[in-house]
Amino acid sequence: MSQSKEQVKGLALNDIDTRGGKYVGNWRVYRPVILYDKCVVCGLCITFCPEAAITRGDEGEPEIDYRFCKGCGICANECPQKAIEMKKEEEEE
Amino acid sequence: MARVEVVPAFPITPQTTIIEYISEFVANNELDAEYIHSEGEHSCMGMAVGASLAGARTFTATCSEGLAYMHEVVAQATNYRTPIVMAVANRTLGWYWSLGPDYSDIMPEMNLGWLVNFVESNQECLDQTLMNYKIAEDYRVLLPTMMSLDGFYLSYSQERVYLPDQIEVDKWLPPYRAPYPLDPTESKSWPSSMIPSALHTKYRRLHEEVMEDAKKVINEVDKSYGETFGRSYGGLVEKYRCDDAETLMITMGSMTTAARRAVDRLRKEGENIGLLKLRFMRPFPSEELIELADQVNVIGVVDRAVLHGTGGGMAFQDIKSALYNSEARVPVKNFITGLGVEDIPIDDLYAMGKKIMKISKKGKLDKAVEFIEHEFPGAANPVDYDFTDETCIHPGSDGCAGCGASIIVRTLLNTLGENTIVINPPSCSGVNYSGVVKVPWVLANFAAGPAYETGVFRALRKKGKADRVYITSYAGDGGTVDIGLQSLSGAAERGESIIWLCYDNEAYMNTGIQRSGSTPLYSATSTTPVGSEWKGKPQRRKNMLMIMAAHRIPYIATASLGYIPVLNREIEKAAEITRNGEGLAYIHVHQPCTTGWYFDSSKTVEIAKLAVQSGAFPVVEIDHGELKINVKPRELKPVKEYLEPQRRFRHVTDEQTEIIQKHIREDWEALLKIEKEGKLPWF
Repeated sequence: MSQSKEQVKGLALNDIDTRGGKYVGNWRVYRPVILYDKCVVCGLCITFCPEAAITRGDEGEPEIDYRFCKGCGICANECPQKAIEMKKEEEEE
Repeated sequence: MARVEVVPAFPITPQTTIIEYISEFVANNELDAEYIHSEGEHSCMGMAVGASLAGARTFTATCSEGLAYMHEVVAQATNYRTPIVMAVANRTLGWYWSLGPDYSDIMPEMNLGWLVNFVESNQECLDQTLMNYKIAEDYRVLLPTMMSLDGFYLSYSQERVYLPDQIEVDKWLPPYRAPYPLDPTESKSWPSSMIPSALHTKYRRLHEEVMEDAKKVINEVDKSYGETFGRSYGGLVEKYRCDDAETLMITMGSMTTAARRAVDRLRKEGENIGLLKLRFMRPFPSEELIELADQVNVIGVVDRAVLHGTGGGMAFQDIKSALYNSEARVPVKNFITGLGVEDIPIDDLYAMGKKIMKISKKGKLDKAVEFIEHEFPGAANPVDYDFTDETCIHPGSDGCAGCGASIIVRTLLNTLGENTIVINPPSCSGVNYSGVVKVPWVLANFAAGPAYETGVFRALRKKGKADRVYITSYAGDGGTVDIGLQSLSGAAERGESIIWLCYDNEAYMNTGIQRSGSTPLYSATSTTPVGSEWKGKPQRRKNMLMIMAAHRIPYIATASLGYIPVLNREIEKAAEITRNGEGLAYIHVHQPCTTGWYFDSSKTVEIAKLAVQSGAFPVVEIDHGELKINVKPRELKPVKEYLEPQRRFRHVTDEQTEIIQKHIREDWEALLKIEKEGKLPWF
């Protein structure tokens, strides 16, 4: 007896296409800003960013995707060069 | 108010407020009770039965999965005739997890011989708790009692309540005296656990007679409470605008308030509808129902649960059974709604009332059971982001800003790669990260994580794929050291080739920072608060490293999110060991939690490092019995540096800091000694 998947009724499924995050940039109170003249591209901020919101750019330099940055400040706290500054977000008009 | 004497507790959302407030009362000596931090619901109910058998007034609370996990002990409480009062902050049970209420959790417990009642408001909750003790401890009844209160709607909401006068309550509800306490100094008889088969039918019949007798006691107590405190609810049922009603709507629990407004609206429109609130489901108020059924020509029942396989809801089936052998011949319509925390708004109840009136006018019931469904609005703002090849996790999770668990889960998945299955006993990571990872993530029951892993592993091994797919847990400390320990120990002893990764944030963070077996000495949590009597947790944590070492498993490691390369190496070793089918690999990762430990979100990594550098959390591994300290500071920093930034240790005195420091010194020296000696002798 052959069966087809379509016969399965009432089973909720997960798959990769339905996975994904949210834009969480509006959680931020402080905004991390990378001072590239001080940055030595050690990558610690990338390792420790809880959100994986920091990735490497074309030349290995860290880039922050602000859509996903919650502003926790770990990157600034861990940066050995003090090359990340936390700046207060401007109030929205 | 009831002056309970023993309170065993285990946290589960949305019951947590109840056990947290009680712990605060005890911490501040406002309640003189034994509070027991149990390690799982099964034990929790066992403690309740034991305490009640020994003659103490006992209270506990749970819901959903926790109640189901208790089930076996819940059944046992009946024949021991232990008048426990248990609050059940209703939450859906089983598939398609939700934290919010429906009655699927209490349904399987309904027929075990407990009294089961439902409350509508927080005021009724308070009043009924007192009444329940009075009913349960009445020697004509002497039965455990479950009080259903809708999770969130009642358990997480605040409402002003009238508190009766304590002196009056003490007079009305004197201390409990068990007729046959489990106490050799007082009684030579005690409740029996076993009777000969020949007597079973007789005792079941007697139990049914007691249930019948309980009806009288329930109505008596309600009346007496009303006379003493000025509030009563009608006993088994509460009638609302039923006097001249031609049709009847039946509800239970918090939805009744909305149903009252719907009935008011229908009445205003000239529809003669009445409302009946089922206050007690066990014993079932058959007589009251039959009496009303004689008066009305349609009954509409609103159910917040489905009895699968019967086609209808819980109350619906009971009501039909109650009416079938009576003279009443009235059609019964069933509405099923409000499952898994969906609201039951007044408009919906109004529409149901309209349908009931329509059946009345038509004189005919077309469709007995109707599911009231709402359209799903769809997820808001789909995110424009694709998974890259390098990473198994998507940014933009629901986790707290500064969450350390996300750093660990990313390291784990990026090291193991795409052919990984994550088994996750309930934890905050399940809530926050299950939806943003690329790999299968399966939510397991709290006490059965390692069992789920074992099943997956054995199936894949049978199919010849066990060396190609990694099976790992992502489990919290509760799911590892407390409620999950039995299953973990079994998997370790059997030598299942799976990875168990515990991210240890030293409390039940998902349910709101309740203490676990991994919470360190003196730490304040929501169930070990600092008060006039209590000063945080008085016990030391479990030593999981040595518990796992006692199982002689091939690989055991501790790690810290402050030392990612070390964690990476340890995960790689664990992967190799399971790939080779050598047995269970255990990794215990320390995870500072900004929300639960009360420190600034930017300090997560800093505090993780301080824990390792001070020796408060040593990073070691035991590879086939060889112990090695993987991060060895030349000199340990004073533990004060680690404790000070965390508000959970704010109350700790210098003397207590010295005690913690002494423990650390002893443990560190022991580790150094074992490392020097080489292999643990029992490997």
